[in-house]
Amino acid sequence: MEKERIEEMLELLWTLKEAGHEELSTVLEKSRDENAQEVMDVLRKEGLVESKNDKVTLTLDGERKARKIVRRYRLAEALLAQILELEDNEIMDSACKLEHILSPKVTESICTFLGHLPVCPHGKPIPRGDCCLRAETELRPYVTRLTDVEIGIDVSIAFINPMLHATLDRLAGLGIVPGSKMRLHQKSPSYVVQVGETTVALDEAIAKGIYVKRV
Amino acid sequence: MHVHPADLLEEKGIGKLPLSILVGNPNVGKSVIFGLLTRRYVTVSNYPGTTVEVASGHATLGKTRSLVIDTPGINNLVPMSEDEKVTRDILLDPRVRVVIQVADAKNLRRSLVVTFQLAEMSLPVVLALNMFDEAKSRGISIDADALSQLLGIQVIATVATQKRGIERLSRAAASPRVPSLHVRYADSIEEAVEKIEKFLPQTSISKRAVALMILSNDSTIEKQLTGFSRVHKEEISEIVRQLEKSYGEPLGYFINRTRISVIDRVLSQLMVTREQAASGWVARLGTLSMHRVWGLPFVALTLLLMYEFIGRFGAGTLVNLFEAKAFGQYINPFLTHLVDETIPYSFVRELLVGRYGVISMGFTYAFGIILPVVGTFFLAFGILEDSGYLPRLAIMTNRIFKSMGLSGKAVLPIVLGLGCGTMATLTARVMETRKERIIVTLLLALAVPCSAQLGVILGLLGGLSVSAALIWFGIVLGVMFMAGALASRVVPGKCSDFLLEIPPLRVPQLSNIVTKTGARIEWYLKEAVWLFIVGTLVLFFLDKVGGLKFLERVASPLVVRVLSLPSEATDAFIIGFLRRDYGAAGLYMLAKRGALDPIQIVVSLVTMTLFIPCFASFLMIVKERGLRVAGLMVAFIFPFAFLVGGVLNAILRRVHVL
Repeated sequence: MEKERIEEMLELLWTLKEAGHEELSTVLEKSRDENAQEVMDVLRKEGLVESKNDKVTLTLDGERKARKIVRRYRLAEALLAQILELEDNEIMDSACKLEHILSPKVTESICTFLGHLPVCPHGKPIPRGDCCLRAETELRPYVTRLTDVEIGIDVSIAFINPMLHATLDRLAGLGIVPGSKMRLHQKSPSYVVQVGETTVALDEAIAKGIYVKRV
Repeated sequence: MHVHPADLLEEKGIGKLPLSILVGNPNVGKSVIFGLLTRRYVTVSNYPGTTVEVASGHATLGKTRSLVIDTPGINNLVPMSEDEKVTRDILLDPRVRVVIQVADAKNLRRSLVVTFQLAEMSLPVVLALNMFDEAKSRGISIDADALSQLLGIQVIATVATQKRGIERLSRAAASPRVPSLHVRYADSIEEAVEKIEKFLPQTSISKRAVALMILSNDSTIEKQLTGFSRVHKEEISEIVRQLEKSYGEPLGYFINRTRISVIDRVLSQLMVTREQAASGWVARLGTLSMHRVWGLPFVALTLLLMYEFIGRFGAGTLVNLFEAKAFGQYINPFLTHLVDETIPYSFVRELLVGRYGVISMGFTYAFGIILPVVGTFFLAFGILEDSGYLPRLAIMTNRIFKSMGLSGKAVLPIVLGLGCGTMATLTARVMETRKERIIVTLLLALAVPCSAQLGVILGLLGGLSVSAALIWFGIVLGVMFMAGALASRVVPGKCSDFLLEIPPLRVPQLSNIVTKTGARIEWYLKEAVWLFIVGTLVLFFLDKVGGLKFLERVASPLVVRVLSLPSEATDAFIIGFLRRDYGAAGLYMLAKRGALDPIQIVVSLVTMTLFIPCFASFLMIVKERGLRVAGLMVAFIFPFAFLVGGVLNAILRRVHVL
């Protein structure tokens, strides 16, 4: 049986359990697989689920697998939504494909890049990975928007979202390019940052497009 | 249009001199150095076709006499604004002998972006590291000799305010060198540059620089090139298109980033910064003045002082002195007498000194009323500008203007509008996009009363009641926000992002303010006075051919039925369009005679405030925004003003608040 069908089913079981459903009938009904019963049998045979009466539950092994898939899916969603700012329907489609192909290493990089984000764009928890646990003790979020930075902290610009041509060029003219160090002075009524000895005021819209990391 | 800067000075017979161009980022002390180099014969004029001020004067650098031009501040020679375009165009002049770049030693990184571009242009450059003392006191030390060797040009540390290093700078400028520095870009860009160079005509700057400008999406450079065939242009656009496809970000941005990364490498070798707890009380004041809460008292104080100075002193005391005394008692009676004695034709006499005469009305208006108002405004504006507070005011008001599709920059024309709407319409140019300029123009025409009106309005409302004043103020403000919000949706085009450099706060320099105010008053005399004269002429001829009477007959029923005003008020409305203060004054007379009840006063004041300010400002809208936009505005504003007045009238007649 294809890996994808199994993974999809595991993901479904995890999501339904989050919503408080464990009945086999619901699982079979919600599944988009052509032959859900067949997949279920394989899962049972491989010891990934157990069933009692009408209830299906993930075994420890199944849960571990499901957690990884859900994590990949929701991280992919967050990446597409927050950084690439794609439309919702595109996010769903692409994230569904990405969850099956992301390697552990890439998953970890995305998670780190997103600052070990705790929830997906739809507000559901992203299962924690090893990197998140490490980060809680060792590291702070790697890259954040300028709008999320605390006032008075030194940061360096990681990258700037593509925006209006002229705006990018004007930012560059003021010395605001990836690699520049800066400090946020205030957020209201406008964002005010200092780059070297230059002080610049900017809109929230521009500040949102500037991604920084701590130095 | 292809204009050379020195053409401005041709008439004085000094246009043949070689040019020394001062360039630099904004707020680096360029003008101070300019003053020290030139000393005498300074002219400030607008660059042809723009509102950008360019100062020039001659100087002897080493042993050569040359014409020094002080260009507007720039951050990039691929122009992003009118200022930057003017500077770039000046640098294309074949008479350029030396470019004296003034850099803020504290902000060397940004200055070097410009230096690198000048190097690409193959222009002879001398670099002044100005404010060297300030940099030092902030813990920044720069190895000027190392920088000089790296760039291949003379680098001189200066402190312009103390005249230090100016002598050396002047000598260095006599024998400038072309920078030897060369930035190599990514292979694909270098290839494209090479290809483009083949199609370019000969220019006074290097073809490499022109090619890089074109790749950076500079749409203005082509117009500056002569002998550029269409076929070649298309070849070049094709090269640019191909290259753009393979890059994820704008090419110009990529090119600039490469420059900056080279600069960062250069600086890491010769600049050391020690973190230092800087900031005296001025710096702290500067920070405080843009604070969310503590910034508000600064705004209030500024507006109050401006009102006192422009509204009370300028529009009150000075106008009284100029209009009532100088023109009313001396100039006009004298000229009237002179005209009456010397000119036998009564038509000409009336044209000059009659009720709607060019002298008795036009000149009196332009010089007796508007000049003192805009004069005091320019002075106040100059102080604000030189102190560095202006951008902070824009920060504080950004949110308010955001809801109207504008940015904080709009605070300038709107505040000026309280002085004179006609002048304010001209300064709508400070806004970056066409859409923003249209919105600002609309707001000025619709909801910002000028000082000529404001005086009478406040006088009338003051005599009524607080609630009357509140109704007037509330409606005008409400209309302003509503019209702004609506216009930001309806008017096509883009709004610009708010991005503004905040210079440090400092004590204004008297000499700077005097020069700038002088230049601006000169600008007013050249650009706006004729509008008031034309306005008077239109009024005069309308009156002669019976047009005024006709308009009155047409509009009278509207005024009487919709606004419930006496028919004499029509006269005030019509004259008010041709000369704003007359309109308000006409109402004032009616009210004084007791011909208007409180409701009528409020209704007529609201309607008049919402009208197009005056004929001169209408002409200015046509001149600045074009006939089509002006026509649309008129078509909207006149019925709308009547509508608001009519609705207000109906409401006030039912609910008894007045």
